[in-house]
Amino acid sequence: MIKRLVLGEAGIGVALVVLAGFFVIAAPNFATEQNLRNIMTQITLNTVLAVGMTFVILVGGIDLSVGSAMALCAVVSGTMMAGSGSVVTLVGAILVSVLVGAVVGWINGFVSEQWRVPSFIVTLAMLNVARGAAERYTDAATIYNLPAALNDFGTITLLGVPAVFWVALLLAGIGWFVLSRTVFGRLIYATGNNEEAVRLSGHKTSRIKIAAFMIAGLTVGIAAVLYMARLNIASPILGQGYELNAIAAVVIGGASLMGGRGSMAGTFLGACLLGVLTNGLLLMGVSDFERQIITGLVILVAVVLDAYRLRLARKLAVTQPATKEPVPATVAS
Amino acid sequence: MNKKIVAVAGLALALTACGKEGGTTAEPAAAPKPGEKPGVCLVMKSLANEFFQQMQKGAEEHATKRGDLTLSVVGIQNETDIDNQVAAVEKCVTQQAKAIVIAPADSRALVAPLKRAVDAGVKVVNIDVQLEEGAMKAAGIGDKVPFVGPDNREGAKQSGMELVKAVGKDAEVVILEGNPGAANAAQRKAGFEDAIKEGGLKLVDSKTAHWETNEAHTVFSNMLTAHPDIKGVLAGNDNMALGALKAIDEQGKKGQIKVASFDNIPAIAQYVKDGTVVATLDQYGAQQAANGIDYAMKMIGGENFGGWQKTEIKLITKDNLG
Repeated sequence: MIKRLVLGEAGIGVALVVLAGFFVIAAPNFATEQNLRNIMTQITLNTVLAVGMTFVILVGGIDLSVGSAMALCAVVSGTMMAGSGSVVTLVGAILVSVLVGAVVGWINGFVSEQWRVPSFIVTLAMLNVARGAAERYTDAATIYNLPAALNDFGTITLLGVPAVFWVALLLAGIGWFVLSRTVFGRLIYATGNNEEAVRLSGHKTSRIKIAAFMIAGLTVGIAAVLYMARLNIASPILGQGYELNAIAAVVIGGASLMGGRGSMAGTFLGACLLGVLTNGLLLMGVSDFERQIITGLVILVAVVLDAYRLRLARKLAVTQPATKEPVPATVAS
Repeated sequence: MNKKIVAVAGLALALTACGKEGGTTAEPAAAPKPGEKPGVCLVMKSLANEFFQQMQKGAEEHATKRGDLTLSVVGIQNETDIDNQVAAVEKCVTQQAKAIVIAPADSRALVAPLKRAVDAGVKVVNIDVQLEEGAMKAAGIGDKVPFVGPDNREGAKQSGMELVKAVGKDAEVVILEGNPGAANAAQRKAGFEDAIKEGGLKLVDSKTAHWETNEAHTVFSNMLTAHPDIKGVLAGNDNMALGALKAIDEQGKKGQIKVASFDNIPAIAQYVKDGTVVATLDQYGAQQAANGIDYAMKMIGGENFGGWQKTEIKLITKDNLG
C-alpha cells in the first residue's frame, strides 16, 4: 500500500505539504490570505504551460519553444487589441493568440513526425524562429495600452481566488479529464509507452503526437493572453526560460522524459511546489543566487526520487507475477 | 537509425553555423579607397533589445544626415555572445574601417581585440558599457579609447532623490535590480543606494528581476508580503517598474507606494502622469551611438580623446513629461 502511494503523486503531495509547513514557520507572512493569492497568481502561467507540456512529454516528446511561442502569440494578439475598446476586437485578438499558438504547435509536431526529427531539435529551432519573429513583428518594442476589460480580468478575484488562476485550474481539470477518462488520453499514454504497438493496432501515432504538440500550442496561446491580462503589456522578450520551468513542473510531478508515464495531477502539484518554493524563499529573504541553487537542487532530488521510484516499480512487477507487463502500469489520475 | 543520427548531426551543424553567422555585417562594409568616405563600424550588442534597436536606428539616421561616412552595423545574437563580438571587431579591422564604435558585450574580454585594432591604426570609441579601466591601462590604450556615454549612477541617484521627496525620511523602500553581472545594472543600483543613503530611507530588500515585467511582479509582490510597510520602489528599468505597478494595483495600495524608475519607455508615461511613478530617467539611448560616431569622426580628423565623455541625461517627472 505504501509502495503504491510512493508510485503515485502521494510523494510530491507530501513534499509540498512539508515545504509549505516549513515556510509557515520560517517565512514571515507566508500563511496569509494575500500571500496565498499571490502564489496562485504567480503559478498561473507555469501551470497553464505545464498542462500542455504534459501531453508532449507523455508521447515522448519535448517542447522547448513554449516561452518564445508565448511571446509571439502575445505580440501578435497585443498589437491587434492595443488601444481598442471594442469587445469584438478583444475576443478576436484572444482567438488569434490561441490560433498562433496552435499553428506553432502544429509545425513542431508535423516537422518532427514528417521527417522523423527529434522534437528536441525541432522545437529548439522553433525557439529561435518564434523569438525572432516576435522581435521582428514589434521592432523589439513593448506593447502597452491594452484594453481595460482585459486588465480588469487580470486583477479580479472570484471566491477569493484570482480569475486567471481559475482559468489555470479549469485547463488542468480538462487536461486531467482528457488524459484519464477518454480514449484519446489512453492513446497518448500508449503512444509514449510503446508506439509500435499502437501503430500495429491500427492507430496513426503521428496524428496523436501532432495533436499533443497542438495542445501544447493551445495552452501557449492561452498563457499569452493571461500574461497580458496580468501585466497589461506584451513584450517580445517575455517568456524567456519558461519552457524549462514548465518541463521542471512536469518532471517534478513524476513524468518520465522517455514518455508514457506521468499525470496531470502530478504536473499540477509540481507547478505548485515550484511556486511555493520561489515564494517562500523570497519571503525569507534568501539571496538570488542561493534561490537558484536551491531550485536546481529540488529538481535534481525530484528526478533522483523518480529513478528510485521506477526501480521500485520494476521490482514490484517482478515480485508480483500477476502483472504481465515489465513496464510499470501508467499512473493516470 | 543511422540516417536519423546523420540528419540530427547535420541539423546541429547547420544550427552552429547559423550561430556563427550572427557576427556578420548587416551590410557589407566596402573597403574604403582613397578619396572615399571613411568607413565606420558600429559594433552593437543584441539587436533584439528595444534599447539597442533605437540606438541603431538613431545611428543610421545620424550617419545619413552627416553624409561624410559609410556606416556598417554589426549585431550579435544576445548580450552575452562575446565570441562573435570579438570576431566582429576583427572583421572590421580586416575590412580596413577607419573607426570602430563599440558597445562591448564584456568590459574585459573586448580589450585585447580592441588593442589590436588600435595598433592597426583604427580609431576606437567605447559606448554604452564602459570598458574596464585597469584592463585598458594594462593594454596601454587607456588614453586612446574614449568612453562616450551617460552616467547611470548619477541618473539613478537623481531618480531616487525624487522618491526621497515623495516618501520622506525613514520610509521603507526596495530595489529591483537588473541582470546580475551587468555593469549598468550595478551602476544603477549604486545610484539608488546613494539616494537612499543621502535621503535617509530604509532599504529593506534588494533583488534582481532580470529587467523583466513578470518576474518583477512576482519578486515585488513577495517583497510586499514580507514587508507590508514598503513605501517606495526603485526599479532598474521601466519594464520592471511596470510589474511592480501591477502588484501595487492588485494589493490595493495604489497611491500609497511610489516608484522611481529608469529608461523612459513609452509604456511608462501614463504612470508618470498619474503620479505613481515619481520619476524616470531618459539617457537618450537612441543618440548614444550617434554621439559615438561624432567622436569617431573627430578622431579620424586627428583629434585625440580619452577617459569619460559624459552624454546628456534628463530626469523625467510629471512636470516635464513630453
